[in-house]
Amino acid sequence: MLTMEGGGETPVVLSGRLDATQAAAAQAYLDRFHGVVTLDCSDLQYLSSAGLGVFLKTHKRLLGAGGRLRLTAVNRHLQDIFSYSGFDQILDIEPGR
Amino acid sequence: MSERASFARRIDVLAEIFAFTTAAFARQGIPATLLAGVDLVLEELFTNIVKYGRGKAPVTIEIAAIPDGVEVTLTEPEADRFDVTKAAPVDITLPAVQRRPGGLGLHLIPRLVDSLQYGYSEGERCSRIVFRKTSAAPRAGAAGRNEDERC
Repeated sequence: MLTMEGGGETPVVLSGRLDATQAAAAQAYLDRFHGVVTLDCSDLQYLSSAGLGVFLKTHKRLLGAGGRLRLTAVNRHLQDIFSYSGFDQILDIEPGR
Repeated sequence: MSERASFARRIDVLAEIFAFTTAAFARQGIPATLLAGVDLVLEELFTNIVKYGRGKAPVTIEIAAIPDGVEVTLTEPEADRFDVTKAAPVDITLPAVQRRPGGLGLHLIPRLVDSLQYGYSEGERCSRIVFRKTSAAPRAGAAGRNEDERC
């Protein structure tokens, strides 16, 4: 289960698990925003390649219009996934505790 | 001790798989710190089967505790041979505008496990993937092997 709240003037808060069953809904939610979009990942427990695809597509769309995707409070497990996939080199990632 | 369950080939079944792994980990005393990594590997393997597999028969997952970790076996009947240990490489050094999400799942798998084995039975047309994950420090790119076997 994944919940997404906020956005626009405030960070988008992701909670739960971003897996293949949630990717389409996550993509639709993030497609509403422009500019520099911050994702608060403090309660994001799980991320698969489907979620990575959502982040990549969103980041590329934002880059095309001068924006970007920022991720904050990223836990150790997610940091590993970003590192193994090379996403730590293309996304602005701020580690959590 | 090991536990086995079968799952229909639908993406929405992922929740059932995660419930199964969570319960099996708890019952067998497998370290919970390994659960997210095991779920991720299973999701990537299972969704690959759902997307590209031509068979209809359910996929079976078996979970067994090993010292400091877990061994997971995923069996796909009615399968074509596809060795997940020899998946096409992904260039993770490309800039964002040149990146494509395809192939990332199979790229991640060997980086999340201690060992990964693929076997295929020609006679039974059955694929069998076995991976192990322990509390030991992960190794980059677990060695895989491809062998003919019975499912």
